[in-house]
Amino acid sequence: MEIQFAGEHLLPGKLGQFFIILSFGTALLSAVSYYFATIKDTRDDSWKRIARFSTRLNLAAVVGVGVCLFYIIYNHLFEYHYAWAHSSRSLPVYYIVSCFWEGQEGSFWLWMFWQGVLANILIRKAKSWENSVMTIVMLSQVFLGSMLLGVEILGSRIGSSPFILLRNAVEGPIFSRPDYLTMIQDGNGLNPLLQNYWMVIHPPTLFLGFASMIVPFAYAIAGLWEKRYKEWPSTALPWALFAVMILGGGVIMGSFWAYEALNFGGFWAWDPVENASIIPWLTLIAAVHVILAYKSSGHSYFTATFLVLISFVLVLYASFLTRSGILGETSVHAFTDLGMFGQLVIYLVFFTLLAVVLLAVRWKELPITQKDEETYSREFWLFIGALILTVSCIQVIATTSIPVFNAAFGTKVAPPTDVIQHYNKWQVPFAVVVALISGFSQFLKYRNTDARRFYKALGVSILAAAVVTAGFVLLTGVYTNLMYIVLTFAAIFSIVCNAQILAEALKGKWKLAGSSVAHIGFALLLAGALVAAAKNKVVSVNSSGVIPVADFAKADKPGDNLMLYQNEPVRMEGFTITYLSDTTIGPNTFYKINYKQQEAGTGKIKEEFNLYPNAQQNPKMGLVASPDTKHYFTYDIYTHITAAPQLAQPGPEAMSHGDAGDEGHAADENYDKPSVHEVSAGDTVPISNGYILVKGMNRSATIAKIPLAKGDVAVALQLEVVSGGKSYPAEPLFLIKGGNKFDFAKVLENPALKLRFSNIYPQKNKLELMVYERPPAPKKWVVMKAIRFPYINLFWGGTIIMVAGLLLSIFRRSKEIKTV
Amino acid sequence: MKKSSIIGIVIIAIAIGVIISTYADSSTYGSFAEAKVSKTDLHIVGQLNKQKELVYNPQVDANYFAFYMRDKKGTECRVVFSGSKPQDFERSEEIVLTGKMVGDEFHASKILMKCPSKYNKDKVEVQAVPATASLNR
Repeated sequence: MEIQFAGEHLLPGKLGQFFIILSFGTALLSAVSYYFATIKDTRDDSWKRIARFSTRLNLAAVVGVGVCLFYIIYNHLFEYHYAWAHSSRSLPVYYIVSCFWEGQEGSFWLWMFWQGVLANILIRKAKSWENSVMTIVMLSQVFLGSMLLGVEILGSRIGSSPFILLRNAVEGPIFSRPDYLTMIQDGNGLNPLLQNYWMVIHPPTLFLGFASMIVPFAYAIAGLWEKRYKEWPSTALPWALFAVMILGGGVIMGSFWAYEALNFGGFWAWDPVENASIIPWLTLIAAVHVILAYKSSGHSYFTATFLVLISFVLVLYASFLTRSGILGETSVHAFTDLGMFGQLVIYLVFFTLLAVVLLAVRWKELPITQKDEETYSREFWLFIGALILTVSCIQVIATTSIPVFNAAFGTKVAPPTDVIQHYNKWQVPFAVVVALISGFSQFLKYRNTDARRFYKALGVSILAAAVVTAGFVLLTGVYTNLMYIVLTFAAIFSIVCNAQILAEALKGKWKLAGSSVAHIGFALLLAGALVAAAKNKVVSVNSSGVIPVADFAKADKPGDNLMLYQNEPVRMEGFTITYLSDTTIGPNTFYKINYKQQEAGTGKIKEEFNLYPNAQQNPKMGLVASPDTKHYFTYDIYTHITAAPQLAQPGPEAMSHGDAGDEGHAADENYDKPSVHEVSAGDTVPISNGYILVKGMNRSATIAKIPLAKGDVAVALQLEVVSGGKSYPAEPLFLIKGGNKFDFAKVLENPALKLRFSNIYPQKNKLELMVYERPPAPKKWVVMKAIRFPYINLFWGGTIIMVAGLLLSIFRRSKEIKTV
Repeated sequence: MKKSSIIGIVIIAIAIGVIISTYADSSTYGSFAEAKVSKTDLHIVGQLNKQKELVYNPQVDANYFAFYMRDKKGTECRVVFSGSKPQDFERSEEIVLTGKMVGDEFHASKILMKCPSKYNKDKVEVQAVPATASLNR
């Protein structure tokens, strides 16, 4: 029998599921219609009209899916698995968007959304290319749409729907109860690391980058298909530049998020997920350069086509890597498998085969020149540069794909033990060559160049670059390693060369500005990454304060983590740092860490600032720390908490854990054994940090809410507690009511005392005072790590300049096309 | 021969060098028994023994963390990591260690863990709540 479940809101899910089916159907209809519009030479454009209509409807349906999902998360409808798994009631509204892309379904949705937007732009802009290009774009949309379907066909589930109900997604005895929803009070919540403003903006940018990679690919396929071999490269160029700009920006945003919000202490870790996002970027940036070579000289046609095609294939490969669960043992960031392994492989294989087959069929007709390039020509070096980028990409793929080889061949190879060193060993030389080529090729003209003039310009630039490099190397201290000096020189050389072109551009040859600005930005990025990565220094070196304990084998190197007790300053690397206090705001605890820099001789404070790294005592994930960073023009001081005592939290979670700090019930037992004193006025009683002075008795004391009858006695003992140089008054009470004795203790918080006036001995003229002392609370502490990142602003600044340069190039290249 | 063919050959040679280097640098997944013999660093996949104690006393040494892990063959070994205790360590389902054996202890230079809570949350937490609470929904 069907159970009638109470309190479920099924409408938004059903509506959302309808939109998913609609988006899949319209994408399919659009792709098919565009296909027929391309191959049928009909006079009327009925196919095209159907295709356009369904493309627009597709975007509307995708937006509909997003609205339904947002409604579900926003209203905390935990009967839906997605809302339950990725959000919680306590989540601020502006992070609800981040919940969207914590799960795979949401990030597929984001990709679909952007692809749909781009498709609708192409309807307006593509003109004669519309039919063929859109066939490919909408075909990709069909595949993305299938990822969200979540329907069973022939016993296997296709896609994973974000609208699946919790009771269908998860097994549990509670789901046999009609009122199960009342037992699910809150969702699992968003991973605290994603609760960062960069996480609101980084994924949309990244996915716009991924989505826009389809456009140059579609142009290349369309060019081969419709035999418009020579036309497509220039038309695809602005799109390729756009994809390079957005994807590059998105990747660096992710790197900035990692730097600002994660605690792996850096901006790039060669994590497989990071690698997956730059693999297609490297080949597409190579593609952009050979397209330029082809446009101006007719050389490198095949290379350009191949690189454009492979870039999108690599986007699909990257999605496969991060979404199929195959990276399981090598990355913490990758998604786990949602049962879409096969589907992702089909997506990848389909588009790979499409490209390979089309290239093979058209091979003989491709406009490949048999001429050799001149050595002193720009096209030759554009070609070489593109090849170096490709090899650099192959290196990243080779190491990142180790788990894929393991899965394919049943081997058990583990990634290199020192991954960063492994990548740098290869990528630094590649970066050197690329930077050098991006410098000297500026002095080369297409086809041929006068060698004497070239060497003259080159000589001057080398000299200038050498001088600047010497200064820069001394300033930043990267002279310890030859490879560092070489890379610095290469980057500065590139800046010097491109700056000369930029100077000419400012004189009026405006067209040239884009590329030289982008190259300068890229070279700055390289220099900044080098210095920040090579010379960053852990400043929280724990050189003192380690107590050797028998069981504790001493580590070889001094540790990177520093123990700080509250209000006890510690000196490190020229700074005096003090843990001052902590404040808990919402789920986060912010630790106020004071940094002081003093002048060596006088001890005068040169510099003082506070950092507020925070840590969230997450009931589900333990301590989740986010760093705080002090930014200076030439360096950053980065601080994050690596350990902190468990806080006593109000709320059900902390209570049920039964933590020791739980004040409420445990307070009484925290006192030491009382000391009993018989006192009279004028006496003093010693306590651990001072004394108590007995001043006298107040015989006419009253007690709130207890009326005194005849014969009842209420007496207050007037005390003055002197502790730590301060005095605090206290009046414990003694009561005889109806012949029974009662006493009302006085509790002081600071100093932690409980004072009882427990008896009166009229014969002895003595009063009994019981003093309960609480031992001082254990000192508060945190363990933190601090790193100094020099010149990291060059890295961020270089990125911004590069993006600006790419933007200028997009304007220039889109003006050049005269599409009909 | 065309210049670009020569370059092509050079590039292919570099690419082969890259791939060989990847496998030269690559490490192996092993067990504690193999780590005792091996002199180089290796990766060990295993599970945390949650019954035995985790040692992390920042008051004593903020850079000393020790625990017991059982590798896939069932061998248990004490693991020492010079650093702070990774977040949410107790909850880890699987741990991948990188490091080598020093005496009877495995000294890890890197710890990678898979936690059920982060990406795979299919465990419903049930709270017994009085029926009136349903009115709030």
